[in-house]
Amino acid sequence: MEFTIGKTDLVRELSLTQGVVEKKTTIPILSNLLIEARDGRVTITATDLELGIRCSVPAKIKKEGAGTVPARKLLDYVRLLPDADLTVKFLDNHWASITCGRSRTRIAGMSRESFPELPSMPATIASMPVKELSGMISRTMFAISMEESRFTLNGALLLLRNELVTMVATDGHRLAFVESSKAGGEPISFRALVPRKAMGEILKLAGESAPDARVELTGDDNHLFFQFGERLLITRKLNGNFPDYERVLPKDNSNIVKLAKNEVRSAIERVAQFADERSRAIRVQFAPGEVRIFSSSVETGESEESVPTEYAGPQLEIGFNAQYLLDFLRAIHQDEVEFSLKDEKSAGELQPARMDGATDQYRYVVMPMRI
Amino acid sequence: MRLVLESFSPLVEMASIDEAYLDMTGTARLHGPPLAAAHAVHAAIARETQLNCSIGIGTSRLIAKISSDQAKPHGILQVWPGAEAAFLAPLPVRKIPGVGAKTEQRLRDLGVTRVCDLTQLGPRRLERELGAWGIALAGKALGQDAGGWFDAGVGQRDAAKSISHEHTFTNDTADPAVLEATLGRLSQMVGRRLREQGVAGRTIQLKLRNSAFETITRAHTLARPTNLDPPIWDAIRDLFRANWRAGTAVRLLGVQVSGFETEAPQNELFDRAPVERWRDATTAADKLRDRFGDGVVGLGGALGANFREKTHEAMPLPKEKTEPNQ
Repeated sequence: MEFTIGKTDLVRELSLTQGVVEKKTTIPILSNLLIEARDGRVTITATDLELGIRCSVPAKIKKEGAGTVPARKLLDYVRLLPDADLTVKFLDNHWASITCGRSRTRIAGMSRESFPELPSMPATIASMPVKELSGMISRTMFAISMEESRFTLNGALLLLRNELVTMVATDGHRLAFVESSKAGGEPISFRALVPRKAMGEILKLAGESAPDARVELTGDDNHLFFQFGERLLITRKLNGNFPDYERVLPKDNSNIVKLAKNEVRSAIERVAQFADERSRAIRVQFAPGEVRIFSSSVETGESEESVPTEYAGPQLEIGFNAQYLLDFLRAIHQDEVEFSLKDEKSAGELQPARMDGATDQYRYVVMPMRI
Repeated sequence: MRLVLESFSPLVEMASIDEAYLDMTGTARLHGPPLAAAHAVHAAIARETQLNCSIGIGTSRLIAKISSDQAKPHGILQVWPGAEAAFLAPLPVRKIPGVGAKTEQRLRDLGVTRVCDLTQLGPRRLERELGAWGIALAGKALGQDAGGWFDAGVGQRDAAKSISHEHTFTNDTADPAVLEATLGRLSQMVGRRLREQGVAGRTIQLKLRNSAFETITRAHTLARPTNLDPPIWDAIRDLFRANWRAGTAVRLLGVQVSGFETEAPQNELFDRAPVERWRDATTAADKLRDRFGDGVVGLGGALGANFREKTHEAMPLPKEKTEPNQ
């Protein structure tokens, strides 16, 4: 196999595949990338057996073929090369020779025979703007549980119902829900749990996509497929039952408190400096005309802030994990945020204040702390 | 012995079964001057325990220890404040707690045989020769508490680091039902103690000793701290089933919870989550036990294992182990 490719093109595709390559694997071949040259394109594949990625880019192919090389070493080296075309040629002993201007290197590779086969992609069942999918991910991903023992919560629920795409993530204490009506394709119903790592890789691929690009998605019994133009991400589905999220979306939170997002966010950020480091608990007092935020910790001290509001309902004092509130306030771009509350013990809900013509719905549910 | 001593001062440190330090600071109005108080202690111990003892009085534990040695048998010796160095100077270095045969030899090589020789060498030289222990030794030569557990105050108790219960069977048993019921009961007892102390732990440890006196400990760390009986028992039962060879007679079982963390007072979103239901049930059960006794309610699997056992709260280890004190 022998091909010539622009350094910038190669570095971009190599960088996109790095996240999938296992850093500490007991199976040596998984540290390698599969590089294939065929039909005027070079295809680069990486997998950790949970997640797979395949990127393809045009190149001048002199001789078709395939081989594998260590992913990290290849990227680290190619990155340092001058901005020019480079030629990659696989030798009989599975080593790859790389020539670029006056630089010559031979990297120890491995036979492609032992590289795992990736599942093939079934017919597409839906497509949606890449921006829409990445927007849903960045608004839910932070709510995914970090506890490995709660494995059904180690990812987000993806639901397709006709035109509607829904994504839900929770760690059992708070829940983020986004629903968008931007999907196109056959009317279909589809439900799967997307692992957190795959969501991170989707964000990276979305970052390299054109502003108006669309992503096509589909699945088989065990896998999900996300096709971004010439790049394909394959992930194993998470198995298990996602909790019944519809039951915990509040229905009768009648005390609505509207706040300027930046004001309340900065206030919480400052007050949280004096919250207990482990529990991150703050007290939020919703009163007519103002919202007051308190924290105190035996070791560090105490802090208090007040944020004006037009709220005129009953006074409520609720304990919250400051981090949970900040995660949401940092994820929205709107200027106003709406707290919908019932009482001190029930789940509170946060939403960006609704904007005209909005096509999606973003709801964030947070359980109080016992204070 | 401890009870007698505690009637004189709340700050009592039992250094061993027959050796204790009392911090008598601020008790002059109650017990009179140190010498009078020491006589009172002497008399009280003789009366209550029919035991002889000797008492040393000093401004540090080191001086108290050495002066009590000098007062043996059955005497009282007080070293006046300011006289510590002079009192120690003529004594052989071996008298200093922590100086054993090895250090003694080492010091003899440096030409040191008596405490005054140590003082002459000075802390810098001692540090060069013996490291951190050398600095402590220089302090000790002047009569100060320095190094090892002398660094902590008398009777100063840090919070417990672990809570455990153990049970030794009157007759070794290989009956899985009895063994698991016993573990259930022990888990319950540990859970109760954790809740009483207001702590929750993540590391659950099983101790298993067979008839041949072979002991193993196996631990499991939970994702979040708990002080509820069911999660403790679940973990213990899994450890037991994974590590007990069926048919092996067991002599002793132990359950320990450590790795204390404060439990975040965060409510669960899926509100009837098992942990919340168990918390409610446990709170109710604890109230019943407070009123009617420990045996009144418990885990089903723990029935038939009703015994009372002592609690063990492990104290933190001394920070340095350089000093094999006393």
